[in-house]
Formats: sequence, C-alpha cells, structure tokens
Amino acid sequence: MPVREDIFWVTCPQCGENFYCENELRHGSIKLMCPKCHHRFFASESPKIVG
Amino acid sequence: MSKDLHAYLAAFGEEDSEDVIHVSREVDPRGFDVSSVLQHLEDRGDQRVVRFEKALDLNGRPTSFTLVYNLFVTRELCARAIGFSSASAKMPLSLEFSRRETNNIEPEIMGPRHAPVKEVVLTGNAVDIGVVPMFRYHEQDSGHYLTMVAVMKDRDEGFYDVSFCKNMYVDPRKLTVSLQRKLHKHLLNILEKNEERNEETPVALILGHHPALYLAAGALTTFGNDDYETIGGFLEEPLRLTPSETLGTDFLVPADADMIVEGLIPPHSAEIQNPFGEFSRYYQPQVAVPFMRVTAITFRKNCIVQGIFPGHAGHFNLGSIPKEGSLYREIKRVFPGVQAVHLPHSGVGRYSCYVSIKKRREEDGKLVGVVPHVHANQLQFVVVVDDDVDVFNEQDVIWAAVTRARFDEDINFLKGMPRSDRVIIDATVPLNEPFPRKAVVPREALEGCVLEDWISPKPRG
Repeated sequence: MPVREDIFWVTCPQCGENFYCENELRHGSIKLMCPKCHHRFFASESPKIVG
Repeated sequence: MSKDLHAYLAAFGEEDSEDVIHVSREVDPRGFDVSSVLQHLEDRGDQRVVRFEKALDLNGRPTSFTLVYNLFVTRELCARAIGFSSASAKMPLSLEFSRRETNNIEPEIMGPRHAPVKEVVLTGNAVDIGVVPMFRYHEQDSGHYLTMVAVMKDRDEGFYDVSFCKNMYVDPRKLTVSLQRKLHKHLLNILEKNEERNEETPVALILGHHPALYLAAGALTTFGNDDYETIGGFLEEPLRLTPSETLGTDFLVPADADMIVEGLIPPHSAEIQNPFGEFSRYYQPQVAVPFMRVTAITFRKNCIVQGIFPGHAGHFNLGSIPKEGSLYREIKRVFPGVQAVHLPHSGVGRYSCYVSIKKRREEDGKLVGVVPHVHANQLQFVVVVDDDVDVFNEQDVIWAAVTRARFDEDINFLKGMPRSDRVIIDATVPLNEPFPRKAVVPREALEGCVLEDWISPKPRG
C-alpha cells in the first residue's frame, strides 16, 4: 500500500476535528495545526490519539 | 517571439476556441469555487481548458489576474504543449518526452528592463503574498496553497533545478516549501548542502509559463542537470532568463513567466503543512517542512496564474507521461521486444504500470516485470501483456490478466520492499502449451469496410 504512511490520528482540543500527522510530529517541539479552526496545539494535548 | 503562456492560449482562440471554457463570474479560490467547477466538469467528462477571468486574491479583493486550469488534463493537450501531434498522444508522445529530456538547449539571458515578468515588481514593504490568488481544493486542506514549480540554484556547480513543489500561506511574507524527502530529492539536496554551511537557500516560484516548462519540470533528469536547459529542450528554443530582484543578479529566473515569487529559506527552518489532498487522492499527513521568507513578487500586468487540480487527470499525466518514455528506454536495454509502457490514471499515473512485449521465451513476462520496479520506486504493481493487448486500454489489460495469468504461478512479489511488497503479474500467453485464440474480426474485412457506406452520420446536437 503506497499510501500507508507512518501516521497517527489526533483530535483538535478546540473544535474536535480529526486529522492525521506523520509520526515525527508526535513527540516533536512543533505545534500541530488544526486544518479546520487553525488552533495550534501539541500532540500531547489531543484528547485522543490513534496510531 | 518567445514561447509563453499567453501565446499558447491565444492559439486556442484562433484554431479551436471551443476547447476553452471562459468563466466570467467572479471566483473566490480561498473557498472551493475553483475545485467545484473543475470537479463538475470532470464528472461530466468535459476535459476542456478552463479560464477563470475574475478571481479574488487571498485577501478577498478583486484582481486583474486570470486563472487557468486543465492544461494537462488529456494526453492530447500534453502533446499540444510540446508541439507534438495530438494524434500520436500514446506511446509516441512518451518517447518524444524521453527524447526531449536529453535535448538540452542553453538559455538566453536578457536584462530585466524588457522582461515581461518584471512589469510589476513588489519588494520591501510592498511584499504581501495576499495579493496573489491562493487555493483550497479539498475539504480538509489545511490552508491556501500554490501548486506549481520552484527553482533553486546549486551554489557549487551553478546548475538550476526546477521541480514541482507546493506552498502554503503562513503570513503575508511567509510560505511553506513542501520538500518531501520522497518527492523532491533534487531541491532537498541543494537545501541540505546550504544548511550544512548554515546558509540560506534562495528559491523562486514560477506561477505561470508555457505548459512545456511544467512538463519539462516533471522530466526524469539526474541531479546536476541544468533544468533550464531541459526546459529549452521541451520548448525547442532557449528559455529566456533575467536576473532576480532580491536573490542576486546571478540568480536567474524565467523572463517570460507570468509571476515569480522570490524568497529565502532559512537553514533548518520548519513550519507545519498539510493535510493536503495530493496526487494519491488521499490527504497527505501533517508534517514539518521548510519555509521561505518572501522577498519579492514580480508579475505581468495581464498575469495568468496557472494551477493544477491535485489528484486529478492533469496531475496524473504529469506523473505518467515522462516516466513511460524513460521506462520504455530502460526495458529496451535488456529486452528489445518491449512494445509499449503505460502508467494508467487508475494508479494515479505513478503506482501501476502496464507493459506490452513480443514474447519469445517463457520467462520473458516475469523478467520484464522487474525492470519498471527498479527504475520507478513509487510503482507498486506491474502487469506484463502480449503485444495484441493495448496497454492504453485498461479494459484490455485486465481482460488479459484474468484470462491469461495463472494466479498460482503468474503473480509474483518483490519481497521486503518499503511499505509493501511489489507485485508483478505475468499476463502473457504461455508459449509451450495449447492456449485458446483471441476472437477477432478478419483484418481484410475490417479494412474493406468503410463505415460511412453502411450507416448515416450521427445527427449533431
């Protein structure tokens, strides 16, 4: 599966949008950005992480 | 007159204006106006070039810019872009691409005073990327993007590399630069060499030019090749270059572009980008990529901003056509009986490959199937068929696979490859055992039958 990526799913703590990120962002120092409300947050702040 | 997008589009007006749709209603590319229109057209099977004559910029203000889409949506349009016969848009087109890849023509340098792309120059405090139309195409795209090509110059050897690269808006003077290790090896090489010296990397985005420039940018050239020369080969004339505004006079940009965005990438910079609906038709995951500080925007007064609908036919053709010619050459080196190579849209122009051969030995189908995997690392799935099968007709290929392959023997795997094993299906007829014969209408009967002598023309409208 060429599109099988090393990813994890997160949930935006502000609006609840679910999206996925490359694994390198899971414990990184850079904040994620919700594609829906553009809230910036660390992966550790996500109410749910899958993957 | 040098080749540019304006002359290219004007030719449609003279010869076949019905092949271009003019959308006069104002579109807001920040929303989904552009992608909605393009999706509807695709659903109807309408593959015409689309011009959006009135577009809002990223700040929501009316602009004088025109947007143009669908310039690569059919193989015939890709043939037209390089001045090749649209009647030969299958394998001959791919082979012509392969020929042009090695047909480098040295560029010409002209002063900025007469360079069309310098008609409007924004530098210093006037720089605001918000004056440019930027796009959201898919529901979960994380922001507004530009999706054409970027150029960098190798400081050590002086060559230019031009590759497809998307850019997401961050602020009025900051864009991401989508350098994915898998997809932009050449640009990334240049960036990483500069980063080793802790130096900034100059970069210029080319947002509108003759479509041959973009087809050349997809060519499978080696690192160290001067892509401005390759573009000349595709244009069949020297690409005209002019000094940049802010990246030094020795950093040259295409003079006949519609718009150039110049900038500097700080060493080891990182900014969040994605999700973005990509060529795979899936969202690319969020990832950290470098960013550029925008230092200048230059454009024509009647600027046309060119776009590609990501994950749709034009995007697939940009991936497939250059590879088909290259793979044909590679297979031909070891197997002269190769007839045709095609990377179909069902495999997004990158993941699957159909090869037809004149089979001479029983093992030919299996051995030939290995070669594409060696030379195109995105490929997942190769089907090898006999030369009575048209690899550009997917129904024909699948028919061959389900009627000729013995699934217990003829599906083979390259094991232990990244992400997944790779597949080779040998769908050729076995040579050394009885096999049914394909039913066909006799050639003589077909050639002797002039259809118009038998049926009335279909009424128009």
